[in-house]
Amino acid sequence: MEKYMEWLANNVLIDDKVVSYRVLSRALKVHVNTAKQMLYEFHRSQNAKHAGTIHATYVVYGVKTADAQNNGADDDVEMAHSGSESQSIPDVVPTYTLSLVAEEHLKDVLAEYDEVSSIHIYSVAPRPTKDITLLSDVATGIEGLSLEEHDKKIVPITNSRVRRRERKAAGIRAAAAAAPVKNQVEPAPKKSGPVPPGPSKLREELKPDPTPPKEEKAAAPEKPAAAPVKKPAPALKRGASSGIMQAFSKAASLPKKEKPAETSIQPLSDDGEDDGEDDEEMPQPKPRAKAGVKSKKEREEELRRMMEQEDEVKSEKAESEEPEPMEEEEPPAPEPVKEDEGPSEVAETSNGRRRGKRKVMRKKQIMDDQGYLVTIQEPGWESFSEDEAPPPQKVKPNPPPAAPAPSKGKKGAAKGQGNIMSFFSKKT
Amino acid sequence: MVTLDELTGLGLLQKPSEDAREPLERRESNYHPLNTFALPKDRPYKQQFADIYFLRLTKIKPAVEEHSIAAWEGTVLGGERAKKVERVLDVRQGELCWVVGTVYMDMPLKPSILEDVSRDRWISAPMNIDKYYSNDGSDSVMLEDDSGRIRLVGDSLKDYFLVTGCIVAVMGTENANGEFDVIDLKFADLPPQPDRWSLSSPPKHQDVKMTGDPSSSPSKKIAIVSGLEFSGSSTAYTTELNLLLEYLLGETLGPNEQSELSQISRLILAGNSIAEPKEHLANTLPTTKPTDTKENVLLAKKPFAKKYGYDASSYNPIPSQLLDTFMSELLPTIPITLLPGTFDPANASYPQQPIHAAMFPKSRTYAAIPGTDEKPGWLDTVTNPWEGEIEGWRVLGTGGQNLDDICKYVDSSDRLGMMEAMCRWRCSAPTAPDTLWSYPFQEDEPFVMKECPHLYFVGSQPEFGTKIIEGAEGQMVRLVLVPSFSATKEIVLIDTETLDVTKIKITA
Repeated sequence: MEKYMEWLANNVLIDDKVVSYRVLSRALKVHVNTAKQMLYEFHRSQNAKHAGTIHATYVVYGVKTADAQNNGADDDVEMAHSGSESQSIPDVVPTYTLSLVAEEHLKDVLAEYDEVSSIHIYSVAPRPTKDITLLSDVATGIEGLSLEEHDKKIVPITNSRVRRRERKAAGIRAAAAAAPVKNQVEPAPKKSGPVPPGPSKLREELKPDPTPPKEEKAAAPEKPAAAPVKKPAPALKRGASSGIMQAFSKAASLPKKEKPAETSIQPLSDDGEDDGEDDEEMPQPKPRAKAGVKSKKEREEELRRMMEQEDEVKSEKAESEEPEPMEEEEPPAPEPVKEDEGPSEVAETSNGRRRGKRKVMRKKQIMDDQGYLVTIQEPGWESFSEDEAPPPQKVKPNPPPAAPAPSKGKKGAAKGQGNIMSFFSKKT
Repeated sequence: MVTLDELTGLGLLQKPSEDAREPLERRESNYHPLNTFALPKDRPYKQQFADIYFLRLTKIKPAVEEHSIAAWEGTVLGGERAKKVERVLDVRQGELCWVVGTVYMDMPLKPSILEDVSRDRWISAPMNIDKYYSNDGSDSVMLEDDSGRIRLVGDSLKDYFLVTGCIVAVMGTENANGEFDVIDLKFADLPPQPDRWSLSSPPKHQDVKMTGDPSSSPSKKIAIVSGLEFSGSSTAYTTELNLLLEYLLGETLGPNEQSELSQISRLILAGNSIAEPKEHLANTLPTTKPTDTKENVLLAKKPFAKKYGYDASSYNPIPSQLLDTFMSELLPTIPITLLPGTFDPANASYPQQPIHAAMFPKSRTYAAIPGTDEKPGWLDTVTNPWEGEIEGWRVLGTGGQNLDDICKYVDSSDRLGMMEAMCRWRCSAPTAPDTLWSYPFQEDEPFVMKECPHLYFVGSQPEFGTKIIEGAEGQMVRLVLVPSFSATKEIVLIDTETLDVTKIKITA
């Protein structure tokens, strides 16, 4: 007995299944037409042994006799003629009928045909097919098969011109599916990661505060603090706060080289946050050679200085009255930088005007080599001039009521948007 | 009359033969879609509809006038010479004259926006009236242009299909009642027909040209199927759908037929591929499993939460999934053009815009990448109506709404006649925007047929029908009513050399 006979016997006689030619051809990887013949042979030989053990359904294709064709259509035509308009006579066209019939009715159906151009067995089953619509269940089972492997050996008609578009998204989607899981698992490590002692405290405080005004403030001190901890990457904190935090972490991550592997695996997590497992890598940040980026030490140093100064300013403020609530809010961050200017300021006085240059921290957005926008701070010199004779430096933060506007503006600008300084500073 | 004995032992009714089975290669489809009915993505809807009528009248009037002049110039009736009148308002009582204008049908059963507004109903529901036509004589025909409107009377009107929006020239006189007594009536007739291969270039090997030598190479075919109506609830004709799939794939039937089937170079799905949604049963609530996530439980808690009157839980994705599967099985071997229809997930107003490929996660990889114009997608989701060139023939096809709506205006079921009338009116959707919902066009009126198609098919029709109409300048149009597969189990094959039609019926 040949292989297909065995297979059919197993499936039809033993497993009690309905097998269609499509199922058979895909199971045995044979051409559909061969499968049809196999079904026929199986049906014939089995029934020769024991009549009535196998029941088949047939597909019949051909032209039906005129009578049979008109059976259905006649009524419609009659109705149409009842219309008052002169009826357009439709062309008579050749009609081919494809019928799926159970073996029991095959004779009757064949009698309706004038000409049968094709007939073959559709399926075999161990019992008569009462309801032919049940065969659709057999068909649905092979959807997957026919889709995946479009085997030229099986399918009679192929098309080499088929065009599909590249599924660029496939990779991303896979990564996306994987990424969130990872992130969910590892939120903890991130927070409790290697936190550097002093500065990190500040960072922890600042971080959760995403309000825009604070951004500047946070950004400045954070940079040094974050450096050791932060790594680009994780999609971890994708929530509301991530927008701002990203910016920070971006800046912080500057000194490090992003691991290429990381990015390739997680195309979606490019929002610059850490991935948790990166923490291991933290301790040895690779310095990135980039203009204007200070070394870690430098920046730690700077931060410390800022912190001290900030405290200073705060106490000053407290004792020396006043300002509009706004000022309280905004200046703190820039202040450190400003105070800085004391030492780093070169000024000369003439005509009651003070002119000179001072060192300020400027924010700068650059695109790094991976195409991310990164905000960094770099020291720069800017020229200034002031009306007043050089007031004692300490006074500056709290100028007399008349002056606050300009000086405040200047300050705000200096910290917030460095560039705008040029607008406020008087050009001599 | 065929008996089984004659067939036994032949073809596939014999022992498996080991003859090599060379896979057949499906013929290439020369396909050039046109964007005639594509709307801009950021279209506004604030405009008035009047411009459509104005544009249509402006575009079609010259052709109608030309025909009228040819027919009526110098006509003398009762000692009076017919003269042309420019505007409807210029018609003088008792003078024999002819005038061109837009037909407006005043029918009590027809939905009227003015009525809705006067009753303070600002949202109109889709109408399900079978006929606007009423037999009691309450319907009246008007002719209007931008100047005014005049009522048409006369027996000759009964000889023609007339619906709102078609452009006609009428000759006659205004009677004492202020009505225009129509003696004769003219349309624009068929527009000029482009030559074959006017947009695309014919295949290099010209063996299949109309040499009259059928033996050189069998001609290609286009399969048109309408009304697949994949349904989420009914499985009544799933077997037929499967047979259709196997037929189009060429898996069923014998080797001879398979080589014929490989000549089918394109499949057009002409509307209503998805069944009309049935009323959702209110008590089919989703049951929550204990393992459900928090979100799911939250969702399940308020299953009746509706947004904008839409009950999200009633959404049944199965129909589009079935259609997707169906297409994704066919697409590896046959390109598909997909027109939306009444029930398909596209906008309801004419022209319907393409069904978004995102509806078909499996099939969409065959669709063109949005925003690239290079080649039409292997799966081409197109507008309804749609115009294009297939195998060099200009093809115009619709999902059927335009014809169905015209049908409501007239006391007839002669759909082929109405299709012919549309061609002779040079308007593929005359009843838009009156009773056929339409986009308020401002600059262009795409329903005007600028060029005469070679093949005009209308989908989702109750029964099959086809005929050829001819124009005065030698135009020939093959009209095809594509029957709804769900009702008739019939599909249509068009021969791309002769435009002959073959009908395939599937029974199970």
